[in-house]
Amino acid sequence: MTDERLERVLRGLEKARQFAESYRFEISDEYRALIAQVEALPRNQSGADKSGRWLGSLAEHKSWYRNVRLVPRKR
Amino acid sequence: MTHPLSPLAAALGRHSVRYVMIGISAANLYGPDGQAIFATEDIDLFLPLDADNLVAAWASCDETALELWSNNEPLDRPRDRFLAERVIERRALTRARGANQLIVDFTLVMKGFDFETVWNERREFLMDDVPVLAARLLHIVESKQATGREKDQLFLATHLDALQQLLKKSDLR
Repeated sequence: MTDERLERVLRGLEKARQFAESYRFEISDEYRALIAQVEALPRNQSGADKSGRWLGSLAEHKSWYRNVRLVPRKR
Repeated sequence: MTHPLSPLAAALGRHSVRYVMIGISAANLYGPDGQAIFATEDIDLFLPLDADNLVAAWASCDETALELWSNNEPLDRPRDRFLAERVIERRALTRARGANQLIVDFTLVMKGFDFETVWNERREFLMDDVPVLAARLLHIVESKQATGREKDQLFLATHLDALQQLLKKSDLR
């Protein structure tokens, strides 16, 4: 890589770093409205059954994959 | 097939432990069946600054064969009120580890919120017929914003997009 190109890449990285440091996500009215919609869904009310819901943890993946049984395809 | 969290949730219920699930795992509860929107290493449970409640939470872990850790060391014994008070003074996190890499963090801090506010508006969901108490999605999101960590900012930006996609799906209308 030429010096000039390297300089350009480094300047780009520096700009990205500055942006990442200054970036602050604000909860917009649209986001709040979406959350309200999701919270209002019947399936998200108290008493709803969440047995089939993944929480996203590694433990669940391990648990479910352990219970997967491969069955040969019938022809 | 039971959910890895169900035995602990049942034990917490038997001991009348006050807790609310927060963080990414709780946010995932609001998503569609059979899917996690976001991956996370641990499940976060928010507890009040109440020593008896914390002792009861630890006892629930003992009952369900979860190992307790604090500061990368096994939690001291006896796990009594005295120890709980010291942990609360430091607002220290207790981590429960179990089979299948189940990791549950008992946290005494939820940025931007006190326990009672979150508790009063909790949702009580069921997992394998066991009650699981979760914070409101709005509280989870607002806390993530208050934290201001880079990974939380990323979560918020992508979560907004994920909600938009989810609400487009007919099964969620």
